Amino acid sequence: MRLGFWLGLAAAVGSLLLPLLLYDAELTIYVFIGLSIIVVAGLNLLYGFAGQVSLGQGAFYAIGAYCAGILARRGIPPLAALLLAPVLTAAVAVVVGLPVLRLRGHYLAFATLAFQLIVLSIAGQFRELTGGDTGLTGIPDLTVAGVGFPLERRAFGYAYLTWVLTALALLLVHNLVASRPGRGLRALATSEAAARGSGVPVGRYKLQVFALAAAFAGLAGGVYAFFLSYIAPGSFPILLSIQFLVMSAVGGVAVVWGPVLGAVLIYILAQVLQTIGSQPGMPLHAPAELNYAVYGLVLILIMLLLPEGIVPALRSAVASGRLRSPGGAAPGMAAGPGGAPVPPPARRQ
Amino acid sequence: MSFFLGVVSSGVATGAAFALVATGFVVIHRVTRVVNFAQGVFSVVAGMLCAALLTLGLPHFLAEVVAILAAIAAGFGVGLVAIGRRGTPPLASLIITLGVGVLSYAVVILLWGDGPVSFSMLQGQVDVGGVTMLWQYVLIVAATAVTFGALMLFFNLTYVGKALTACYSNPHAARLVGIDVRRMGLLAFAIGGGLGGLAGVLLTPLQPVEFDSDVSIAINGFAAAIFGGLLRPGTALVGGLVLGVAEALVSGYSRYASLQSGVALVLILGIMVYQAGRRPEGAE
Repeated sequence: MRLGFWLGLAAAVGSLLLPLLLYDAELTIYVFIGLSIIVVAGLNLLYGFAGQVSLGQGAFYAIGAYCAGILARRGIPPLAALLLAPVLTAAVAVVVGLPVLRLRGHYLAFATLAFQLIVLSIAGQFRELTGGDTGLTGIPDLTVAGVGFPLERRAFGYAYLTWVLTALALLLVHNLVASRPGRGLRALATSEAAARGSGVPVGRYKLQVFALAAAFAGLAGGVYAFFLSYIAPGSFPILLSIQFLVMSAVGGVAVVWGPVLGAVLIYILAQVLQTIGSQPGMPLHAPAELNYAVYGLVLILIMLLLPEGIVPALRSAVASGRLRSPGGAAPGMAAGPGGAPVPPPARRQ
Repeated sequence: MSFFLGVVSSGVATGAAFALVATGFVVIHRVTRVVNFAQGVFSVVAGMLCAALLTLGLPHFLAEVVAILAAIAAGFGVGLVAIGRRGTPPLASLIITLGVGVLSYAVVILLWGDGPVSFSMLQGQVDVGGVTMLWQYVLIVAATAVTFGALMLFFNLTYVGKALTACYSNPHAARLVGIDVRRMGLLAFAIGGGLGGLAGVLLTPLQPVEFDSDVSIAINGFAAAIFGGLLRPGTALVGGLVLGVAEALVSGYSRYASLQSGVALVLILGIMVYQAGRRPEGAE
């Protein structure tokens, strides 16, 4: 527990100081990693507690981005548009989740995939509202009461905005898990029937987690829209949803560190692949091909070898190490920085 | 009227192919409880391989058979990865098949490039009661009918077919009477691969395939499959035909032909909403 606290403090301070050392291009990566962490933190809740795989987080990301972009272009103050993005996204999630979540886990994966395709096709069709396939251009910059980031420090400003939002998201998840509903969710993850028997409102909690995960994705999408000031259906391919899922699976369902580690590792991996794939002499489709190959392999291998993800595996390794050393903590203390032991994601049926 | 019947006949043909994909989903799900996200991949691989073999000069029937055999092998391979390791829960298997699907993109692009691929269909057309139908349509419907007949005989009359059904109705009891549930699961994956491959070989002349066509093929197949709650091949056949005809009508009569693919998506969500209303929460 103490180790986890210091690690967390170090990571928080480190990531807070990091933007001071970075150039604009690197700050862009910093922002994208932060946004991914927010999305994956939400996805982890859904996957870890409700045992549901969503392939539609990219769709909620897109909805958030389009909400923020469209509202801001229509004269709504950008900050209000950014705050409305997660709210509207969560509302959409409730409408979609209400019927779909009642069915078994395997359906949700396909339903959310179908949902993302529908969202993309709607975004491509309604030209007056969304700009169609060419996309939505000229999204105004984020301002608070008319004051925006100075132009030459723009990426710097977004980096800190992302840091704050990421920290808030992780804090929210951390506190949620430790709360009474969090205990209910943990009971739900182990056995829905037992949880229902103990008075946990299973259906309502699942829907709320689904909506919360969507809201996280919507918030990240809103920041994305303001940061890039341009969005199009092509910005939110199915591969984006798969990328979020890979991040979630790699990090594991650990509350705080899972999303952070998963997002950082996979994003850096994607950058490395991009660099390798665009070397001179490589064929034109090499970057995409490398991405497909590596994401596919990572997903298969992590599911076969470390189905609970890296962070829970590390934790149990640390715990068994402590057990062997005299005076160490018992394995039951392996709760780690999140403060809450999280059950494995997979529900055996 | 003849335009209408022409549209319907093309819908029946593509719908029959969707039904084959759907049955692949159903066979695998029944035995292993895994929804195989890589189901569309088998069609893409078979279609692409068949086109490549035809370019190499293989005669028509032989190329198709080889492509379907390759799809069966691919199905077995996917099964080996997804359920080969004992104790892999269905949710993990689902993510693994998703990983296989993404990985297959890289393999397909490496082997056959990232452009659309097609090959010549059965030439000519036939007049059936005033409706002119392409021979390819007749071929698809006939192949689907034969396949469904064979599957029915296989599941109802043979020992292995009954063993597969036993794994579905009660895996523990099946194991008790000496059925190797894992091996049956692999067999189901191989059958699913073959069905997907057959659909791919039949559909590719009508709709060229690309490396990522598997998503739309799988979505259509899944929409057809959940007609029967992913458990009954017969309703999957009905589902496929309804879906095929509905899509053909939309693309034939609507100003927005691009809405065609939306039919399957809306159908998926619609059926789920309906089923959610009928079934108690969290029921199997």
